[in-house]
Amino acid sequence: MKDREEVMEDVTDHQNWKTCFTQLAPGLVLFARQWVRTSADAEDIVQEAFVRFWRTKRDVANKGLLYATVRTVALDLIRKDSRRARREVEASWDTPQAFEPQFEGVDDSQLLLAGAINRLPHEQREVLVMKIWNDLTFAEIGEGLGISQNTAASRYRYALAALKKDLLPQ
Amino acid sequence: MNDFSDIEKELRSLRPVRPSAWLFQGVARQLEKSSATAAPAEEKIIRPHWFRFGGLSLGSALAAAAAIFILARLDPFTVERHGPRTAKATPVPAAAAVSSAQFIPDGATRVVYHTQNEGLIFPQGADEPVRRVRSRTKETLQWRNPKTGASLRVTYPSEEVRLIPVSGQ
Repeated sequence: MKDREEVMEDVTDHQNWKTCFTQLAPGLVLFARQWVRTSADAEDIVQEAFVRFWRTKRDVANKGLLYATVRTVALDLIRKDSRRARREVEASWDTPQAFEPQFEGVDDSQLLLAGAINRLPHEQREVLVMKIWNDLTFAEIGEGLGISQNTAASRYRYALAALKKDLLPQ
Repeated sequence: MNDFSDIEKELRSLRPVRPSAWLFQGVARQLEKSSATAAPAEEKIIRPHWFRFGGLSLGSALAAAAAIFILARLDPFTVERHGPRTAKATPVPAAAAVSSAQFIPDGATRVVYHTQNEGLIFPQGADEPVRRVRSRTKETLQWRNPKTGASLRVTYPSEEVRLIPVSGQ
């Protein structure tokens, strides 16, 4: 029989994961969408990654590691699913229309912005997604992607510059 | 000064679509399942069914087998008490030499049930690559008491890694 402390710990854990996940899930799914075509696949990736992460960490202090886990699960999925998925992901990287970040209630100007995000190079887009919609620091982004903090920061600046240029009136 | 504050503001105004309820349910289900069936890492190793006995029982079995084996090996002293050590020249019949508690090795089998070619590796200092082949086996040692007909059998898993030199293609 569980003693009171164990029960309280379980309850705390339960509440913690719900609180953390509710905050992080939209950004995580958006991040995972970079490797797959559908939201359903992205949600599968996030589910597996979050469960794997939470089982060992039980808090999200190390956000870089959480995103690294999402990335690893996504890449594992691609390897497992081999040729078909690889073709899909390659297509999604090469074809601007393939990556469709899903945003709520976009107006016309936001639609243009979303289109410009789609046209960003993959390595800039993933830094942008981590920074803007997941509030990671450059150090955390660097840790998650296995790059230096400075590289993360410069990719972010390149992404913003490219978006700004893309959205300038012709 | 940040030249991109305006574009950053616009980006932040985009809100990602909320994930489906299925995702939350799936995570909850898996976390509950994992907390209910939390097993030590050692238990997560997938073994053939007959390997699934505890380390303690394996240790006990091996210790018992070793003890019996040592007793069997020590038995010549017992024989010495009853007669001269002439076994080398004219061995006494085995049945006469053994006591009722003596087990003698009766056989050993080794069954390879899985072999995996792990590809070529380049060992340090070697000129040529070698192929690493990992075999999983089940080894069985058997002792028998010829007087009483009792037998003792110990089976244990083992793993062997062989490095096979690879000649030119």
